Order: sequence, then structure tokens, then C-alpha cells
Amino acid sequence: MTASGDTLIEARDLVKDYPMGESVYHALRGVSLTVRRGEFIAIMGPSGSGKSTLLHLIGCLDTPTSGEYVLAGSPVHTLAPDQLAELRNKEIGFVFQTFFLLPRANAAENVELPLIYAKIPPAQRHHMAMEALEFLGLQTHAAHRPNQLSGGQRQQIAIARALVNKPSLILADEPTGNLDSKTSENIMGLLVRLNQMGNTLILVTHEPDIAAYAPRQVRIRDGLIVSDELVGASGKGGGS
Amino acid sequence: MSAATRKEQLYGFWGSVAELFRIALRAIMGSKMRSFLTTLGIIIGVLAVVAVVSILQGVFQSFLGQFEALGANTLFIRPNYEMFSDRREGVRRLKLTYDDAQAVAQQVPDVRAIAPMLFRSDSIAFRSRHDTTTIVGTTEAYGPISDVNMETGRFLGPMDVDSRRKVCVIGHDILDKLALPDQCLGTEIQIGRDTYTVIGVVEKLGGAFGESDDDRIYVPLTTAIQQYGNDAANQLILLVQVRDAAHMDSAVERISNVLRRQHGLKFGQTDDFRTFTQEEVLKQIKTFTNVSTLIVVAIVGITLVVGGIGIMNIMLVSVTERTREIGIRMAVGAKRIHVLYQFLIESVTLSTLGGVIGLGAGWGVSLLTVWILRKTVSPTFPAAYVPLWVILLSLGFAALTGAVFGVYPAVKASRLDPIEALRYE
Ligand SMILES: Nc1ncnc2c1ncn2[C@@H]1O[C@H](COP(=O)(O)OP(=O)(O)O)[C@@H](O)[C@H]1O
Ligand SMILES: [Mg+2]
Repeated sequence: MTASGDTLIEARDLVKDYPMGESVYHALRGVSLTVRRGEFIAIMGPSGSGKSTLLHLIGCLDTPTSGEYVLAGSPVHTLAPDQLAELRNKEIGFVFQTFFLLPRANAAENVELPLIYAKIPPAQRHHMAMEALEFLGLQTHAAHRPNQLSGGQRQQIAIARALVNKPSLILADEPTGNLDSKTSENIMGLLVRLNQMGNTLILVTHEPDIAAYAPRQVRIRDGLIVSDELVGASGKGGGS
Repeated sequence: MSAATRKEQLYGFWGSVAELFRIALRAIMGSKMRSFLTTLGIIIGVLAVVAVVSILQGVFQSFLGQFEALGANTLFIRPNYEMFSDRREGVRRLKLTYDDAQAVAQQVPDVRAIAPMLFRSDSIAFRSRHDTTTIVGTTEAYGPISDVNMETGRFLGPMDVDSRRKVCVIGHDILDKLALPDQCLGTEIQIGRDTYTVIGVVEKLGGAFGESDDDRIYVPLTTAIQQYGNDAANQLILLVQVRDAAHMDSAVERISNVLRRQHGLKFGQTDDFRTFTQEEVLKQIKTFTNVSTLIVVAIVGITLVVGGIGIMNIMLVSVTERTREIGIRMAVGAKRIHVLYQFLIESVTLSTLGGVIGLGAGWGVSLLTVWILRKTVSPTFPAAYVPLWVILLSLGFAALTGAVFGVYPAVKASRLDPIEALRYE
């Protein structure tokens, strides 16, 4: 399943500085990372170490202060905001800790959201959204609004939204951070399944047992990668 | 491969606009009360304009109708009351008489016919019914000049005038006013202290304003002079029909010369009478209409600017409140232009809806106003009339206001940084 040597991500010396009044805060101090298609990576580290900052750069939500970043052949560090938006729309699906669903839209409409900006006509859009919901077994909840759903269901809707545009890369920032341990296991099982189906997956977490699902673990501290190791087939993902 | 199929699926600019319009409607309907209050400025602005314009236009239209009915080959002449600052002095000193009419008819070959008219308001009665109306003393010439159509009976004839007969031709409203029987020809009615025989009923004209032409009784001029005395006979209005509308100007000049001679006016003295042609009157009405339209447009402009500031204010609040939503949309691929259009279309939709509500409410207010005026001022007050241009103008202005005042909030929304927008609490 990881036989492909096809490179998806090539990041070199990524630096991200935040101006803090007079001084500058160095959130990332030179991060290099290569990711092949089909990989499942966990980025670990203590709070404030720069995990989210790195994930935002990888996800084209932000651009680095310096360094080079190539995603699926596109030199992201040179792109303008609208080109970044297009890249996010085509290549990336996000899953966030707090779900980030539109409160006034129902589940199906939330899942359709990326397709609107991909200019897919309404009927087909709805069809694709329903397919994604069906895959997650949530088709009966299509008309529910986020506040009528449990935390786990909300995160599943968010995952459906991340999947619906068939992106090259799924990025998850602490996806289980707001869920109880039982629900967390379900969500992680789902993510593992997505990876097994061929999706490239990068997961940010500070919890070791969540990181343990991933075969490749990258540790980050104070804006620098301190270790990047293949732990082989994950204990939880394959074992239990 | 999936990129290729996606390209075929593009559904174009209007598809995207429809999409954003749906999003806008959802946001607007999501907080109805607030949307309503936001557009209140625009609603009131459009309401006021539509109410005022529709009532004015109703009056103008019936006014225009009256003078268009006059015909391009007719003019009328009345004493020049404007010579005196006090109209009563004009009434005392000015004269326009039957002799003047005769002189014009005889000396100006361009004149085909001339009908002198004596206007008086008088009481009328039939059996136990009493009322008042306008009495018009005139000659047989009035019928053809004014193109009077009879419902029953006949108009005044030369014998009626020559023999000072006590006969009358009644306007359609008089039938109701006096509750006359269906077969009213030959019926005797009271006008002032005298008794007149009804010889004809004029077809319903409708549509006139203030006092309607249907609310009139025509009697022979000679009989009217006998009844109302010489003072009334000296204050006639002359209705003149010329042979050829193309020679109206020269006809007016010749008529003026005859009347100046009749009145002994010297060179340099101003005319003590005024002539009105249909063309002139229409021009005056139109000028007045244009000026009032301009004033109305200016008022719309001002109110809508005020309304627009209201919209901008709420749109700014809305952008702030929905920062998170904007962040989510950007994260899944919305470009700046998508966010910009989303908020712009929302403010245009909001203001246009305000315009539509204002239009409806304004129409309601003008109907109510006309109803009240008919109950209090005059039962024949003309119906309100909303010209298409007023609808287009108010909706256009409302939409434009939304667009102009929506730009700043929309640009602000589109310039948000996706990460900061997502982090916004
Ligand atoms: N927009 C910003 N402005 C200033 N500092 C920031 C900003 N975003 C993140 N930081 C700082 O950068 C550091 C790394 O943040 P983050 O990547 O969110 O950490 P993590 O996700 O590992 O907890 C933190 O100390 C945080 O305060
Ligand atoms: Mg974080």
C-alpha cells in the first residue's frame, strides 16, 4: 500500500516568524520534511511547539517567512492568496479540533461546501455529498444541523467534508481533542481506514496514544524537528 | 482525470451568482427582525417616494387627460387675472364678453367656432334632493368643439340660446346627485330659483380631478346671463376652435389683435386676457412634472444614503460576527472574490428587498391617502398612479445603495487572513 515512491510534499527549511511588538517570535526555525503519497504521519510535540503552524503551512492556509514548499508539484511559497485557495480546494481536506462546521447549514450542506468553490453544479454536488455521508453511515443525518449532532458525528461530518473533493492530502489538527476516548477510537479507526484506502494523512497531536496509530512519527519541539522515525505498522491500528 | 471531468462540470458565472444569492437569502432570513431593521431606512425612503409620487402622478395624469381631450386645434381665453396682485380687483375690472366672442368669430377667418362659457356654482334640486354643482352657460357651439357625446337626448341647440329657453343638459354625476328617474328627459329640476327641463344627458367622462366634468349642468348662455346678471356675463371664458392646428400660432396672434382692439388697448399695454393652447398647457404641466420628479429623485437619493449607512453598519457587524464562517469558507477553497461577492450580494439583496417592501408599503399608503382624500376633500380625487419608472427608479436606487455601501464590508471580509479568521472567537 505504501509502495508508491511518488513525492507529494517537499518542504525545505521552513521558517515562520510572528512579529511580537518590538521583537519577533520564531514559531518554526527551519523545518524540512518529505512526504510520499499514501503515507500516514503523526506530528507530535508539546503545546506551543509549532505543530499547528507547520500544519497550516502544509495546508496552504499560510505561507512561510522563508523556505521552500512544493505540494504536488506546485511551489506553494511563491503563490498568491487566490492560488492558495484553489490549491486548498483541489488538494487538501482539513479536519480541525473544533470541527469548524457552519452552524446554519445542515450536514449535507456542510459537506457540499468545498464543491461550491470547485464550481460543481448543485445536483451533482448534493449527490457527491450524500455519497461521502453514506460512506460514513451518516446519510440519515444529512438534514441535521451541527447542533443536533453529537461531537463524534460532527467530526465525522467534518471528515466527510474533507473527503468529498477527493483531495491528495488530508490534514487533521488534534481531531480527537474535543472527543471522549471511545469516540476518539472511532474517529482514529476511520482515519486509519482512509489511509488504507490510499489517502495521504498528516495528523497533529500531543497525545502519544493517538500518535501511535501512525507508522511514521515526527517529533517537533520549539519550532524544530527533533526526530522523524518509522515505527512500522502501528500497534493500535493493526493490532487491536 | 478527475480534473477533466470537473472542468466539464463548471456551471458558469450565473450559476455562482445564484449560489451566492441563495447563501445571502439564508443569512437574511436567518435573522429576519434584524434584516428588517437594517433595511428600515431604505424601506421608509422608498415608501415616502412611492406614496408622494403616485398621488402626484395620479393628479398629473387626470390633468393631462383633461387637456389632451381639449384637442390640438382648440384654445381657451380668459381674463388676465394675473395683472392684478388681488384677484378680486381683476374680477371687478376685467371683462371678456359675448361681444368679444362675436368679434373674434367674425374677424378671424382661422376660427371655425367659438363657445363662450359662463361658470357659476349654484344649488340644484329635484323633489326632496338638494345639492350644488357647476353651471356652465354656453352656446350650441360648445358641443362640437368639446366633442360632447350624448348618452340620451340632445345637446343645446341655437333655438335654445336664441329664445333663452329654460332647458339644461346634465353631466352624468347629476343623475345620482339628484336621484333622477331612468327616463329623465323632460324632467324638471331646480337650478337656483328657476326651473329647467332636462333635454339631454352627457356620456360619462370620468377621470377628471377635483371637480369632475361629469358634475356639471349646461344651460343656454342667454338664459344663464338672465339668471346670473351682467357681472357674470362680463367674466366669460372663450373656448375657440381653429380650422387648422398647424396655424395655431398665427390664429392666436390674430385673435389677440381683435381682442386688444375690442378692449381699446394701446400699443405697449399688456393684454388684459390670456390665451391657453393645449400645447402650452401640456408643456407647463410637463415642466412642473419634471421639476417635481427631480425633487423627488433628490429626496430618494438623500434617504437612501441614510439607509445605506445603516446597511453598511450592519454588514460590518455581520462580517465581524461571521469571521469564523469566512475562515471556514476560505479553508475549503473560497477565493477572495467569492467572499467579496457573497457579502456584496447579501447587501444588495437586503437593500433590494427593502426597496420591494417600501414599494408595497408606499403603494398601500397612497391608496389609503386617496381613500381618505375622497372621503374628506373631494369624492372624485384621482386614483393614485405608479408609473413604471418610479418602480424601476426606487428598486434601482435601493440596489445601488446596497452595492455602494456593501463594498467596504465585503472588501473587508475578503481581505481576512484564513488562519486569523478561523482563530477568531
Ligand atoms: N498569529 C500568531 N501570532 C503570534 N504568535 C503566534 C501566532 N500563531 C501562533 N503563534 C505562536 O507560535 C507558537 C506555536 O503555535 P502553534 O503552532 O499553534 O503550537 P501548537 O499547535 O504546537 O500548540 C505558539 O507559541 C503560539 O503562541
Ligand atoms: Mg495546535
